[in-house]
Amino acid sequence: MDFSSILYGFQVALSPGNLIFAFIGVLAGTVIGMLPGLGPISAIAIMIPLSYGMDPASALILMAGVYYGAVFGGSTSSILLNAPGVSGTVATSFDGYPMAQQGKAGKALAIAAISSFAGGTISVVFLMLVAPFVADLAVTFGPTEYFALMLLGLTAISSLSDGSTIKAMIAAVVGLMIATVGMDQQTGTSRFTFGNPSLLEGIDFLIVALGLFALAEVCQLILRRKEKESKKKSDVGNLKLSKGELKEMGGPISRHSVLGFILGVLPGAGATIASFLSYISEKRLSKDPSSFGKGNIKGIAAPETSNNAATSGAFVPLLTLGIPGSGTTAVLLGALLVVGVQPGPLMLQDHPDVFWGVIASMYIGNLFLLILNLPLIPFLAKILAIPRQLLISLIIVFCLIGVYAVSFSTFHLYILLGFGVLGFLMRMFSFPAAPFILAFILGGMMEQSFRQAMTISNGSYNVFFQSNITIALFIVSLLSIFVPIISGYFKKKAEANEDERKGRTA
Amino acid sequence: MANKPSRWIALLLLAIAGVYLVLAYQLPEFPYAIIDSDVLPKGLGFLLIILSVVLFATAKEETAEEKEKRTIPKNDLVILLITAVAIFIYISLLEVLGFLLTTILFLLFLPTVLGYRKYGVTVAVAFIFSGVMYYSFTYLLNITLPQGIMPF
Repeated sequence: MDFSSILYGFQVALSPGNLIFAFIGVLAGTVIGMLPGLGPISAIAIMIPLSYGMDPASALILMAGVYYGAVFGGSTSSILLNAPGVSGTVATSFDGYPMAQQGKAGKALAIAAISSFAGGTISVVFLMLVAPFVADLAVTFGPTEYFALMLLGLTAISSLSDGSTIKAMIAAVVGLMIATVGMDQQTGTSRFTFGNPSLLEGIDFLIVALGLFALAEVCQLILRRKEKESKKKSDVGNLKLSKGELKEMGGPISRHSVLGFILGVLPGAGATIASFLSYISEKRLSKDPSSFGKGNIKGIAAPETSNNAATSGAFVPLLTLGIPGSGTTAVLLGALLVVGVQPGPLMLQDHPDVFWGVIASMYIGNLFLLILNLPLIPFLAKILAIPRQLLISLIIVFCLIGVYAVSFSTFHLYILLGFGVLGFLMRMFSFPAAPFILAFILGGMMEQSFRQAMTISNGSYNVFFQSNITIALFIVSLLSIFVPIISGYFKKKAEANEDERKGRTA
Repeated sequence: MANKPSRWIALLLLAIAGVYLVLAYQLPEFPYAIIDSDVLPKGLGFLLIILSVVLFATAKEETAEEKEKRTIPKNDLVILLITAVAIFIYISLLEVLGFLLTTILFLLFLPTVLGYRKYGVTVAVAFIFSGVMYYSFTYLLNITLPQGIMPF
């Protein structure tokens, strides 16, 4: 590992200007993440326009802050309101909310903050150690490996996202379809542009991300705008943890920073699955499983460590392969591209400063989260009392101006509105949006690597069956689709048998 | 069919796939490409057809939970529609009236419709937020927002 590079990264990250950006990022991320329904994807997408014209390092620091802030903000609303801001913090509410109801909200928030920090920081160390190896391996990858890898990303996110696999796959296919709009890079043919010059460059990812996530989630907020009054609590209680409590957190933190990181690296898994698995495994390990769900410290520490560790894990494929494995990293990839950073296996060789700058900014983001948010928690909790009606209106304006600032045309704003409606309808009918955005981002890259492979082989499909890695990746993608379907079938059968038996005994 | 909304969605998707495929087949040919620009769209069109058929065939009756998730009280539906229309009007007026004026009007209107009754706060937020946004984008980020009929 190159220590001078990471030192340089820190030098960049610790300049006064960048510290301010880190602060703004963490603060804005926390505030947005706190709003029930608005998650890291929306938070990052809303903040992207602010990074226009910034130098890449500052923009990355800002985004890392927003990302961690949003994840942490989600935990805050999980604990205080039992209304998780993001699916990755649902497991936190199992023990966090009961604890808050016992008047120990401050304690729960402190546990969440410390575990998040520990999980995030420990897993960044893993990231530093693992990423260079993956990058070395990835340099040998050809277009077929890349194609297979991206396919695996899509099938994995489809089969692992909540709800029906078939709906997730449909969302992914439609995402790919939207990605085909615009001028074809290889042949120059304009596809599905209907003669409209504004569509020639395709639809900007920011429009899709803001519409599908931020605007659609704002619609959910509109429906839930009256909820807060009844549950408003401005007093969070004492934040202090005793030595014994800190000791109790040690076990879950060390276990789940590893588990979360590994799950985060895998395509499709991510923070949600990591936090649930950690919660369940911690409960299994516990000597007193019945105390879970009633305000157990480990029950907060485990998922919080895990979801933050998973977020760092997700950076491994993003930074080393240039391929996002989840909806959130897909949007982050877009944010990186906006500031002119193209992640991939060569980034570590060609731009070590940017690579280590990102890593350093992740440390800083985590640190800021801890030292700024912990003392600010009582004040931040008051943000939850800001009238939703005003926040909703402001977020809408933010989305619109964000898109206008990239496109300078109102045509794209209408498209944004259209994606907002689509995103809302998708939520109503339980179509997951994460596969859509991931497919949209991967679409162009997949087509390109497919064509490269076919050009190398002069049109023969055999090229896809010549590398063991490619074949293995294809097999895993197929398994990721069919295993859940088959196991679901058997489960249903077992349940039917169970019902039958119950029916007989009754 | 009545309580299986997935079937309606499947039919809709089937129609979308059909239109998409028709358009894909109209894409002009490029003589020198091994994989032409129509290959992926055609593949996706057929894939969506297969998936819609599977969705149609496997559609289950909605659970009560799912049904509740998509039922919106009428008042809220009206408010959602008003919000959408307000955004639409905002977009249409943005380049005509300019960012400042349109945003102020939008921020005066929407919170009120959503049921916020502290008008003093609404007015203050509308003016301060619009002003700060306009100033930061135009002068700090050097991204010119539409000036419209305003002199600055």
